[in-house]
Amino acid sequence: MTRVVVVTSGKGGVGKTTTSAAFASGLALRGFKTAVIDFDVGLRNLDLIMGCERRVVYDFVNVINGEAKLNQALIKDKHCENLFVLPASQTRDKDALTEEGVETVIRELEHMGFDYIVCDSPAGIERGAVMALTFADEAIVTTNPEVSSVRDSDRILGILQSKSKRAAEGREPVKEHLLVTRYSPKRVEEGEMLSYKDVQELLRVPLLGVIPESESVLHASNQGTPAIHLKGTDVAEAYTDVVARFLGEERALRFVAYEKPGLFKRLFGGN
Amino acid sequence: MSAASSNRPIEFRNASLGTTVAVLRETHPPLLADALHKMLGGMPDFFSGEPAILDFAEISLDCGRVDWAGLLSLLRRFQLQPVGVRNLPGELAAEARRAGLALLDGVPLGERSTPPATPAAAAPTAPKPAPATPAPALAAIQAGTMFVDRPVRSGQQIYARGGDLVLLAGMSNGAEVIADGSIHCYGPLRGRALAGAQGNASARIVATNFGPEIVSIAGVYKTFEQGVPASIAGKPATVRMRGAGNEQKLDIEPLQLD
Ligand SMILES: Nc1ncnc2c1ncn2[C@@H]1O[C@H](COP(=O)(O)OP(=O)(O)OP(=O)(O)O)[C@@H](O)[C@H]1O
Ligand SMILES: [Mg+2]
Repeated sequence: MTRVVVVTSGKGGVGKTTTSAAFASGLALRGFKTAVIDFDVGLRNLDLIMGCERRVVYDFVNVINGEAKLNQALIKDKHCENLFVLPASQTRDKDALTEEGVETVIRELEHMGFDYIVCDSPAGIERGAVMALTFADEAIVTTNPEVSSVRDSDRILGILQSKSKRAAEGREPVKEHLLVTRYSPKRVEEGEMLSYKDVQELLRVPLLGVIPESESVLHASNQGTPAIHLKGTDVAEAYTDVVARFLGEERALRFVAYEKPGLFKRLFGGN
Repeated sequence: MSAASSNRPIEFRNASLGTTVAVLRETHPPLLADALHKMLGGMPDFFSGEPAILDFAEISLDCGRVDWAGLLSLLRRFQLQPVGVRNLPGELAAEARRAGLALLDGVPLGERSTPPATPAAAAPTAPKPAPATPAPALAAIQAGTMFVDRPVRSGQQIYARGGDLVLLAGMSNGAEVIADGSIHCYGPLRGRALAGAQGNASARIVATNFGPEIVSIAGVYKTFEQGVPASIAGKPATVRMRGAGNEQKLDIEPLQLD
């Protein structure tokens, strides 16, 4: 049984594409045959973060329009055996994604034996975002610890409840997960950011994980390497935990406590 | 209907419109703008394009001047669509017609009770008909009570027509729930909660975790621009109407649960 997972947020720039790349890679590392689809028509970001931009010939819209076969457009990931990327189109026409077209592609991926289909949603609550969540079985609602992001996540949760196929057909609702990203325990401590507990309290969705703010995310995307591959970094560990929890394993939350610099550091500075 | 009737270029059907009646006690647009802003807590999207009837029954227009252009544009800014007037002094009828408004005196509006008096300028009494994001099929009317099992999210609207509304998973800021009867909320009450929407002043709002943006009973509003008082914020509380006539106001009291 294929599971379709949408990574969504409402608000832009919160880390959806970073999360889609890391999460899809994590599932593939655990042996699941995974496809990650870029729904952000016009912006075309996922292929850069996955480091496959130079191999894009055909894209999602070409497949929907019948100009290319799905297996011509799927790009095999360079890091993981079981991972395939379906890049977005650079055509500016946002109406290129039709519901029938998206459904056909998803059914065909099911037919090809994919275990997971990860949909990287564009920002906003318009057509592109709705297309990305229409066929979802599960949703990772990516939220930064600030009020505007929480409000937009709340909106997208409402849209998930009303616009997803599962809702429209009266089936079991889309399974919701909360992922708090770009989390800085120090700024939470200083009262500049909401804590992950505040965010969860406001949204009332089960917490899948907390990803710390980290410079290594920028390095990773510059290298075209999904953040989960950055061995030994907090971000990679946090995403690994997220994948484990998604698969039903228990993992304690990490990287959420602020450790005040010790006496030695305060006296002598340095790192 | 016969086959012939479907060929008619125009056909008339009977429909009852979910209208809001705005009872005006003042027509000077700046004064109304200020009052609306205070009532609706600076939320110009409070209404969602529903038709509105301007009722002049409670106003004396001896001065005989109404700034129709200003009045209409102000109401439209708050997403109301003025469609008609009633109880307008005869000498102003021609002006109202010229401003594109229908004269609706004597047209039965199906109101169930007279609009309650509020200290502010206009009292919307009828709820909005169509939800912005239609609430999903998770709510089912049962014996006059509507149960909603999942959180009501920002941008969603729920209307329990003719009965009580029970929220079993709370509601978020930016959501709106309306009931003709009372509203019972288990979990956080955060958006706008309007009870007694058809004018039932004995309706109440009961919440286990009180923190709304606006509450209203029978058209009498209370906003919380300065935040909810600390004595009840996040705690169990009830809202009910006290007093009568122009003295009506909403009372919010803590609720002892154990
Ligand atoms: N954990 C993190 N720590 C630091 N920076 C991060 C983190 N996650 C994401 N970023 C940065 O935030 C920016 C936005 O990330 P990303 O493109 O993943 O967001 P998005 O939600 O997909 O954006 P859009 O809405 O434009 O599609 C990028 O510059 C990325 O490097
Ligand atoms: Mg993106």
